Amino acid sequence: MKKMLAIAMAMTMGLGLVACGGGNDASSSSASEPATEDSAQTEEGDAAEGSESDAAQGEAPEETPSAGAEYTVGICQLVQHDALDAATQGFKDALTEELGEAVAFDEQNAQNDSNTCSTIINGFVSSGVDLILANATPALQAAQAGTNEIPILGTSVTEYGVALGIDDFNGTVGGNISGTSDLAPLEEQAAMLQELFPDAKNVGLVYCTAEANSQYQVDTVQTALEGLGYTCTQYGFSDSNDLSSVVTTAADNNDVLYVPTDNTAASNTPIIDNVCRAKKVPVIAGEENICAGCGVATLSISYYDLGVGTGKMAAKILTGEANISEMPIEYAPQFTKKYNATICEDLGITIPDDYVAIGE
Amino acid sequence: MNIMNLISALPGAVAQGLVWGIMAIGVYITFRILDIADLTVDGTLCTGGAVCIMLMQSGQNVWVSMALALIAGMLAGMATGLLHTFMGIPAILAGILTQLGLYSVNLKIMGKANQAINVDKFDLLVSLRFIKGVPFYKNTILLVTLMIVFLIVFLYWFFGTELGCSLRATGCNDKMARAQGINTDFNRVLGLMISNGLVALAGALLSQYQGFADINMGRGAIVIGLAAVIIGEAIFGKVFRNFGFRLLGVAFGSIIYYFVLQIVIWLGIDTDLLKLLSAVVVAVFLAIPTWKSRYFSKPAHKEGV
Repeated sequence: MKKMLAIAMAMTMGLGLVACGGGNDASSSSASEPATEDSAQTEEGDAAEGSESDAAQGEAPEETPSAGAEYTVGICQLVQHDALDAATQGFKDALTEELGEAVAFDEQNAQNDSNTCSTIINGFVSSGVDLILANATPALQAAQAGTNEIPILGTSVTEYGVALGIDDFNGTVGGNISGTSDLAPLEEQAAMLQELFPDAKNVGLVYCTAEANSQYQVDTVQTALEGLGYTCTQYGFSDSNDLSSVVTTAADNNDVLYVPTDNTAASNTPIIDNVCRAKKVPVIAGEENICAGCGVATLSISYYDLGVGTGKMAAKILTGEANISEMPIEYAPQFTKKYNATICEDLGITIPDDYVAIGE
Repeated sequence: MNIMNLISALPGAVAQGLVWGIMAIGVYITFRILDIADLTVDGTLCTGGAVCIMLMQSGQNVWVSMALALIAGMLAGMATGLLHTFMGIPAILAGILTQLGLYSVNLKIMGKANQAINVDKFDLLVSLRFIKGVPFYKNTILLVTLMIVFLIVFLYWFFGTELGCSLRATGCNDKMARAQGINTDFNRVLGLMISNGLVALAGALLSQYQGFADINMGRGAIVIGLAAVIIGEAIFGKVFRNFGFRLLGVAFGSIIYYFVLQIVIWLGIDTDLLKLLSAVVVAVFLAIPTWKSRYFSKPAHKEGV
């Protein structure tokens, strides 16, 4: 008897929960708000749902967090990180320059917790932002799962086809997603390694196994380097705790190391530097921040410029100049050969004249 | 800062809370019934997600994928259980060891750190997108609620059987249980298997919900699970005495946890402080029972001296 009662109660409560939570905005607001406010609430709810930029522009300017702004842009960034921060900053600067005061930003950071990305995106979708900037791959994946109406721009994402599970990716995602890719010029990086160290034989590729993008880069670079006659070995580490022993092994067995654009490596460059400089093994880095910490040279993209490019795309989408479903993924406009003067001097490496020292 | 934004964000928070509620019920079984803090779950959550996503990508039915994810989780639980009982390693350490090993296993299952599942191309059971504007039978909240109710009914039945009772006795008083002829080692392994199976199931749902499985997705999961258990007990402990209701309270605890998180994000509080806030929420709810008994309880009456 008691059991049956318990089951019945559980069912009722569960159903009650669905009744409160499910359905649409109007029903949830009428259930939880006094009846007098009902009509106003419903109207606002509808505006939030019709999330096209022009709908929100006309009907619900009071929805935006800062009064007077015409467009609200939600920014979901995966983690604090020099490169990602620079991309977000570039995006905001570019969009503010294009549209001025008309744009308000709602910037959220998921603290490297992919579950929090979903929570943040849920907040954006339900408050009806006009555009979502997803900074880094898990943020983009969560945004894609969250909405197929609100335009989503990705940045600092390397491979859109891989990230979104598209088999025959042709450069345009379609639907409500576009963005910019931080794909580094991998083959040129391999060529640069050959230019600087033509006598080296063994190259160690050090990367974090928890990052899908790193695996892709390392595989591509390995193919390119093997084409140039080098012997390559991959050294994967799982986190900063086993990094130093992995790098030590890699440095002992190789003449040159390569570190791709890898967030974990970027946060732990001092470890790599301490191991490699002591053993006189030079490191070629996939991007500038890693090179500044532990590398001798890099062929790098600027994440700030990448953010600026994304910001310009956003401006076109918000003003209705361009349709996001037709916008192809954009890549970094230019690459710069850079070197780390201090480490090069320590290792006695002469760098050709067309390289720029980092920090100049 | 519009209250409507918050209200319309709540269904999403409920859905996410419900998915984590399954995970929290798994944590409850080890933490409260077996009296073991099982850290395997940080790895099992990802194992469940990885198995489910990989199977679905290879064209399996969503239910088959989820069932196999559950079995994979149970195997992981069995590994911890055997490390603990057969090899005599302390429970916390056994959990940490399995969790560590699962990192490599998960990576091998997925082949790389992150596997996406496109909601437009696969027939997912739950998704962040299936919360509003879908037929009610496809609504994530309804589906997960039904699943939780089913699980609670099943667990209520199971812990009432002879086997379930002996499992509870093992957690209550190990020595006494053994004196009654109960095989406590077997029961511990079984409890860990059930718990990790549930966590893997939650992982399978979660990876569908967020659209990807990621090697890092289980990191800190035990904290969310414990938070849900503790919040549920602190709020509903007085009302829900019955075992089935206690499990329900745990699921509610998980929803409340995500409510708080959504409110924090809605308030626009600096997200750098998110982890600190999580820690504070858990600490406060952990302290409530102690404070209650220390400062608000009536002095005990001595009867019939």
